[in-house]
Amino acid sequence: MKHQLLRLNRLGTKINRQHLQLVLTLIALALLVLGVGAPMDGGGISG
Amino acid sequence: MILWLGLGAGLVTGLGWSRLRGHPYRSPTLNHIWLVFAGFLPQFLAIYIGNTRLTTPDWLAAPILVTSQLVLLIFAWLNRHLTGMLILMIGLVLNMVVMVANGGFMPINPNTAERLVGAERISTFEIGNRIGYKDILLPAKETRLEWLTDRFLPPVGFPYQVAFSLGDVFIALGAFWMLAYQKAINENQLLRSI
Repeated sequence: MKHQLLRLNRLGTKINRQHLQLVLTLIALALLVLGVGAPMDGGGISG
Repeated sequence: MILWLGLGAGLVTGLGWSRLRGHPYRSPTLNHIWLVFAGFLPQFLAIYIGNTRLTTPDWLAAPILVTSQLVLLIFAWLNRHLTGMLILMIGLVLNMVVMVANGGFMPINPNTAERLVGAERISTFEIGNRIGYKDILLPAKETRLEWLTDRFLPPVGFPYQVAFSLGDVFIALGAFWMLAYQKAINENQLLRSI
């Protein structure tokens, strides 16, 4: 029983870690493409 | 925006594909992730934030932009083992080369820019002026490597008008591939991780 609880706890930690990693990866990739891409859609025009 | 489309479509495809195979979705593992933040921050301050953007002169914004892209190129190189990163790097280099060749900004032809912001608004800009976040208004004959500039447009009447470069296409494809393609997780590896 104790072993199963421990395993469940580790599974929960793992899921949280995987979700966090996905979010962090998505943020990093979004910043990467935003930083290296240069399309123009009319945004940021103040003239 | 073409870049968001690449990311979004890649994520949806990757999630869908994982679900279809009955495997959990595994995002690509990025190394040296701090480099992305370090590389993007100066660009964010000089290009995207309204107040600092207006007070940052072009002679300073251009090297900031190029340096920022250089740091992001290093990050991409350190993660070149990832599927799709090499495609993204091709796009990055194409954009960087044309920007460096034209003073640090992405050239856009006045005719192309007119499609995006209208003739009346474009007439308020002079040739050589910055327009948008990273672009500079330059006629084709005054542009170096014109084929790499923001010269592609969706068809007339398309609800969202955007000008993009060949480099942007590679970047979007690379991002798509990176998120869509998932290597099969070894079952033993998965059990060990649990």
